[in-house]
Amino acid sequence: MRASRVIITAASEAWARTAATSMTGFATSVIGCKVEAGIEAVLAAAETPDGRPGASVLVFAFKAEGLATRLVERVGQTVLTCPTTACFDGLPDAADRVQVGSVLRHFGDKLQSSKFLDGRRYWRVPVMEGEFLVEEAFGTQPAIGGGNLLILAKDQAAALAAAEASVDAMRQVRGVILPFPSGIVRAGSKVGAKRYKNMTASTNEAYCPTVRRRLGVASELPEAVNSVLEIVVDGVDRQAIEDAMRVGLDAACRPGVVQISAGNYGGKLGKHLFKLHDLLN
Amino acid sequence: MITLTLKEPPSVPLEAEVLSPDVTAELSNDAIRALPVYLGKRQRRVDDFFDVDGASSDQITIHGDASRVKWIGRAMTRGRIRVDGNAGMHLGAYMSGGAIDVSGNASDWVGAEMSGGAIRIGGNAGGQIGAAYRGSNTGMRDGTILVGGGAGLEVGMRMKRGIIAIGGPVRDFAGLQMKGGTIVLGSGAELRTGAWMMRGTIISLRQLPLMPTFLYAATYVPGFLRIYSAYLERLGFTLPCSEQQGAYQRYTGDTSVPGKGEILIWAPRGA
Amino acid sequence: MLRITGGKVYDPANGIDGVIKDIYIDGGRIVAPADEGPGAEARGAKAARAIDARGMLVFPGGVDVHTHVAGGALNFARGLVPENQRAARKFLHTKDRRAGLGGMTPTTFATGYLYAGMGWTTVNEAAVPVLTAKHTHEELHDTPIVDKSALLLMANNEMVLDLLEAGEVERARHVVAWHIWAAKVYGVKAVNPGGVAAWKWGKNANALHETFEGYSTLTPAKIIADLAHIVDQLQLPHPLHLHCNNLGVPGNVATTVETMKVLEGRRAHLAHLQFHAYGGDGWSNMRSEAAAVADAFNRHTNLTCDAGAVLFGDAVTITADGPWQHLLYQLTGRKWGNLDVENETGCGIVPYVYKDRSLVNAVQWAVGLELMLLITDPWRVFLTTDHPNGGCFWRYPEIVQLLMDVEFRKEQVRRLPEAAQQRIVLGDLDRQYSLFEIAIITSAGPARALGMSNKGHLGVGADADVAIYPEQPDKDGFLFSYPRYVLKGGEIVVEEGDVIGGSEGREFIVRPEYDAAIEAYIRPLFQQAYTISFDNYPVELERLRHPEQVNLPSTPA
Repeated sequence: MRASRVIITAASEAWARTAATSMTGFATSVIGCKVEAGIEAVLAAAETPDGRPGASVLVFAFKAEGLATRLVERVGQTVLTCPTTACFDGLPDAADRVQVGSVLRHFGDKLQSSKFLDGRRYWRVPVMEGEFLVEEAFGTQPAIGGGNLLILAKDQAAALAAAEASVDAMRQVRGVILPFPSGIVRAGSKVGAKRYKNMTASTNEAYCPTVRRRLGVASELPEAVNSVLEIVVDGVDRQAIEDAMRVGLDAACRPGVVQISAGNYGGKLGKHLFKLHDLLN
Repeated sequence: MITLTLKEPPSVPLEAEVLSPDVTAELSNDAIRALPVYLGKRQRRVDDFFDVDGASSDQITIHGDASRVKWIGRAMTRGRIRVDGNAGMHLGAYMSGGAIDVSGNASDWVGAEMSGGAIRIGGNAGGQIGAAYRGSNTGMRDGTILVGGGAGLEVGMRMKRGIIAIGGPVRDFAGLQMKGGTIVLGSGAELRTGAWMMRGTIISLRQLPLMPTFLYAATYVPGFLRIYSAYLERLGFTLPCSEQQGAYQRYTGDTSVPGKGEILIWAPRGA
Repeated sequence: MLRITGGKVYDPANGIDGVIKDIYIDGGRIVAPADEGPGAEARGAKAARAIDARGMLVFPGGVDVHTHVAGGALNFARGLVPENQRAARKFLHTKDRRAGLGGMTPTTFATGYLYAGMGWTTVNEAAVPVLTAKHTHEELHDTPIVDKSALLLMANNEMVLDLLEAGEVERARHVVAWHIWAAKVYGVKAVNPGGVAAWKWGKNANALHETFEGYSTLTPAKIIADLAHIVDQLQLPHPLHLHCNNLGVPGNVATTVETMKVLEGRRAHLAHLQFHAYGGDGWSNMRSEAAAVADAFNRHTNLTCDAGAVLFGDAVTITADGPWQHLLYQLTGRKWGNLDVENETGCGIVPYVYKDRSLVNAVQWAVGLELMLLITDPWRVFLTTDHPNGGCFWRYPEIVQLLMDVEFRKEQVRRLPEAAQQRIVLGDLDRQYSLFEIAIITSAGPARALGMSNKGHLGVGADADVAIYPEQPDKDGFLFSYPRYVLKGGEIVVEEGDVIGGSEGREFIVRPEYDAAIEAYIRPLFQQAYTISFDNYPVELERLRHPEQVNLPSTPA
């Protein structure tokens, strides 16, 4: 899993958010969307390279080449096109780089130009509104996807309230994103399928309340649980994910929540394991 | 720290490329005193002209009116030189790292063909700052030169990259045959700015006479300027970039080449 | 009296091939051995100094038959490439030596030191216009140590061309002779005959037997034939020195071979033959035709030539061939300087780099060497690079190495791009030059071709110009790079590899016979066409500090 950080600035926070939201749409899972992306944080003007309001976006993909292609597609279709934006690399110290601005510059049809300052090259693409400024190369680094929490609750309303609270808390942590819509997954999956051939993923029956007693289903759910929601978190490193999961875990402890678990997937989806009990220590 | 105090200004120019951190970093005091300098065509010693304190350091301070001492900091790659006074021609020529600070004035060819590092002149400088030497294809390849006062002819001639910012007035042919990089003219310039410019950016905070081969394009605040403004602000040089304060008139040129460069002239709001 | 003892002497003009013998020098000349002949005791008593040359090679001083080292064109070139001067070797002034800059267009003092430092003691400046001859003489005077001669550009002099077109060869001869004495030079140079005159119209003269812009019947072939005839009639010591038409152009082998036919029955020296030995019909298929040129040359025994070899690296092309230089400028897209010299000639300067990755340059590099290996008589082919066009003269030792060491040479060929190796024959040539033959192509041969009977050999009566080399090269691996001793006119000018100054050399000049009345013909034409006054045109003899007039059979008393 590799990640890049994209800093989008604009004339106002609203426009930065607009571009960031558009850029991170349809990016819930690398399986179906090729990329997982989300808004990491809204940035104050003082925090951005050009001193304007902005947002930082994290983008995750399996390999660097894939990441490069996705960045070019998404920045090209949603940031370049959005009024007043500029786009900068959020991992300037990363040794591995992918080319984004150097591809997008071709939109300028040879009318583009670049500026090089302090070791970084910025492309200026002439557009109708003025100029689109995009950094040439973006850093990438190894990252971790698929940290998750499972909120097992008495009913749907309780599960949702807990999940929303959890998401609000996790969103304050830097270095992570929650790729699913509003951060919450209502249809958690298991790897492959048991009864169909050739499926990448299927419903995580162990946590589905309505099939608890069906033949062949090994349910993980305690008796009192009638609804489960999952929160998936991607992060730039273990620490970020642990921090997010810790505050998320804490915020999810609300009335109606019976248990908080985490998907194991039998260790099949990756080498990083986050044990919930470890987070409490 | 090595301190060199000029006993008296030399009668003819002194060629003193040995006054460089790379040279002095490992030398004893005696060895520094014995370094060769050229008074016209005659070889002499550093201590014929300077009192020398200190040894084995890449930090050098020079006291005195060294306006006839040439080549200080030539080709340096590290360390720091502080001139408490004036400096002569070719200051920091060919340098690729380190820093030079001159409290007074400098002469021509400051930072000629440099490729890195930073030079700051408190007072005025001469001409050919960051420029290519005669016959050479390319001038400054990177680095930063800041001049508090004014400067002479052919500032940034054939420069390829890097940034030159001059606070005071600049004479003719700033940015001549420029290939890239950025020149900031805090007080404008005289004639033929940007002549034969191929690429690069000249930013002027005052109106200045333009050649007819520079064509007006638009008035706006370019995004990249904000980056440059932040960078220069950290060095004590102010470059306005807020839409509230004004905008830049962009002129494309030099169309006689044809070049893809630009001259951006600051137009304050309400002016 | 000075004795060089125990050295291995190479004196091809006197048939001496690596014989260990002593050389005796007195009064600036080689003299008979001290212990033989009358007055021997007296001479022996005067033997002030002996140079111990045991384990060393003793050569007559080198003679460069074609080089560009002084004058307006050279100085224009120096000005065009200030970046070269910054990178050039610096000669700081000392008690015995003046200051100078080396590099591709060395300054005058440096030129003398660089030649002498290699063991060369005579230099022929190959192209002088009358109009700027005073400048050339000033610079030659400031070229220390070496003796000099100079050749006058005549093949595009419109006064001469007009006469030749009108069929007035006789009168043209007087005009040429007058100009030679006016310029105070040694011989006649022809560069791209007709082409430089046509260049004043932006054209060239590419066809030997066709006329060119500005003329209606005159052809380059006629200019060549007539000038060669004139030079022979004037009995000049050196024959017509010819830079053929179509220099540098793929396929110019045809022009070169045809030129040799035009010169049948006459003496001539073909300059920098390498640039005239190309096949193909364009840059993409250009190849070596050195074999064809060498074959024709071997059969035309009336001709001598110099190689004009190319060496990879930087060069500055300086030639009167204006149209060719404009073409070269268009190929390189870099700097170009062009001078027009009123009615006489022109000049083009283009800095150039010969790259071993370039197919064209690789072929050029091979052709120079192929010519020197395929031309069978070393007395007729001389080592030059047309300095600074093909490479710098101070790199001659590299060429000597390539000629003498077949393994080294073949290794260099193998490094060329594969496609280049297909276009040359150098890889198949096994001939290795011996030291005897090297002495011929660097000294004895050019001296004989220049008609300098006291140069290029170590027989009694010769000028005491001697180069003494260690048997094994010591520094950068090239024999000839660092002579242990060099003597010029009997004076030691290089000792233990150090140039220790030395006197100013002489300038050889000739005074051919002409009818004084020709001046009445020249003067009105001159006044009408030139920008200066006729009386200011000729070079006064007093301007030459050390002229040495070589007597011609016809020289008036």
